Amino acid sequence: MVLQTPPTPGTPELSTTALYCYGVVSADAAASQAGTGLGGASVEPVRFRELAALTSPVPPGQVRAKRADLLRHFDVLGTAFEHGTVVPLRFGIVFDDEAALARDFLEPRRDELLGLLRKLRDRVELRVTAHYREEAILAEIVRTNRRVGALREATRTGGSHQLLVELGELVSAELQARTARDVRATLERLQPLALEYDLDAEPIEHQVLRASFLVDRKRVPAFDKAMEELAAEQAARIDFKVVGPLPPHSFVSLEGRR
Amino acid sequence: MAIATQGTASNYLQRAPSPSGLADVVDLILDKGLVIDAYVRIAVIGIELITIDARIVIASVDTYLRFAEAVNRLDLTQTEAAGLAELRGDNDSGGNGGGKAKGAMEGAKDKASDAKKSLKERVGRD
Repeated sequence: MVLQTPPTPGTPELSTTALYCYGVVSADAAASQAGTGLGGASVEPVRFRELAALTSPVPPGQVRAKRADLLRHFDVLGTAFEHGTVVPLRFGIVFDDEAALARDFLEPRRDELLGLLRKLRDRVELRVTAHYREEAILAEIVRTNRRVGALREATRTGGSHQLLVELGELVSAELQARTARDVRATLERLQPLALEYDLDAEPIEHQVLRASFLVDRKRVPAFDKAMEELAAEQAARIDFKVVGPLPPHSFVSLEGRR
Repeated sequence: MAIATQGTASNYLQRAPSPSGLADVVDLILDKGLVIDAYVRIAVIGIELITIDARIVIASVDTYLRFAEAVNRLDLTQTEAAGLAELRGDNDSGGNGGGKAKGAMEGAKDKASDAKKSLKERVGRD
């Protein structure tokens, strides 16, 4: 994960009226949005026609994000999501003032934002992670790959560096192959229950997959059931975890964003 | 509305209504969500260039040696017994195969969580 570098070097001074923006809801849902935002400021909607951005004022001068701010951002979106549909923004977006927010974001992106609100209505993000059980997967590899078995026998009581490296390299390749197969098999089961999915590409070696699924709220029980079956079938070798329903963080984007 | 409250409890599937740690929240709100490039500001001021590399380099001699070590430490009779127990549906061990080896992948997990930890520290440092 790499954060974007600042477009210009140095740290811009924020104006005294700067507004931190969490996400966008429909204007008629905005009334029920309240709560505490970054730095304890209260969350207020900024309306533009059918849209409302959830914002809170940020202190003048330089703003430094702290971990509590990250959690605040997440919680404000979670509260909005409990009340209806929300288009989550990435952390850290600040507008100079209400006028800039409407002029630079809500007005030019109005159609797209309305489209997103329609698309995401009654839909939730479910986040699935899967990890191999180390011993089980390694034993599987030793049993099914003869060369691995032979090298293991040859190196158990101390083999040459070269043989150990060869053994490890073979195991690593087997793990990657198994990961690819298990990702395919998992997606085959879950994809039919989801409208979209988003697979995180971050190969941590024990991890089979980390993915988000956009699911109709009505189909959450069916998705959950499929997950449970999958987890039961794979219980000997893979641990599954599902988190959600979450706001659809992974399923929002703007066309040709600047 | 949380999944966690639905249906019967499963021994196999872990469920949670929301992420349990900052690292998982960070995944969602720094990597995902709508972006308006010109306006990403706080993130770059506050969390300067966090290039967390949670990616474990798979193609390295060190990694290979860790795998070799883990494979050599495996007690296949243990995992075979566990495997047979699974087949018989006699599953109370949770399939953990005796839980003896703490090997290569544990190391990887530690590394990954270290990377996340260092992110947490940097994020929460002041």
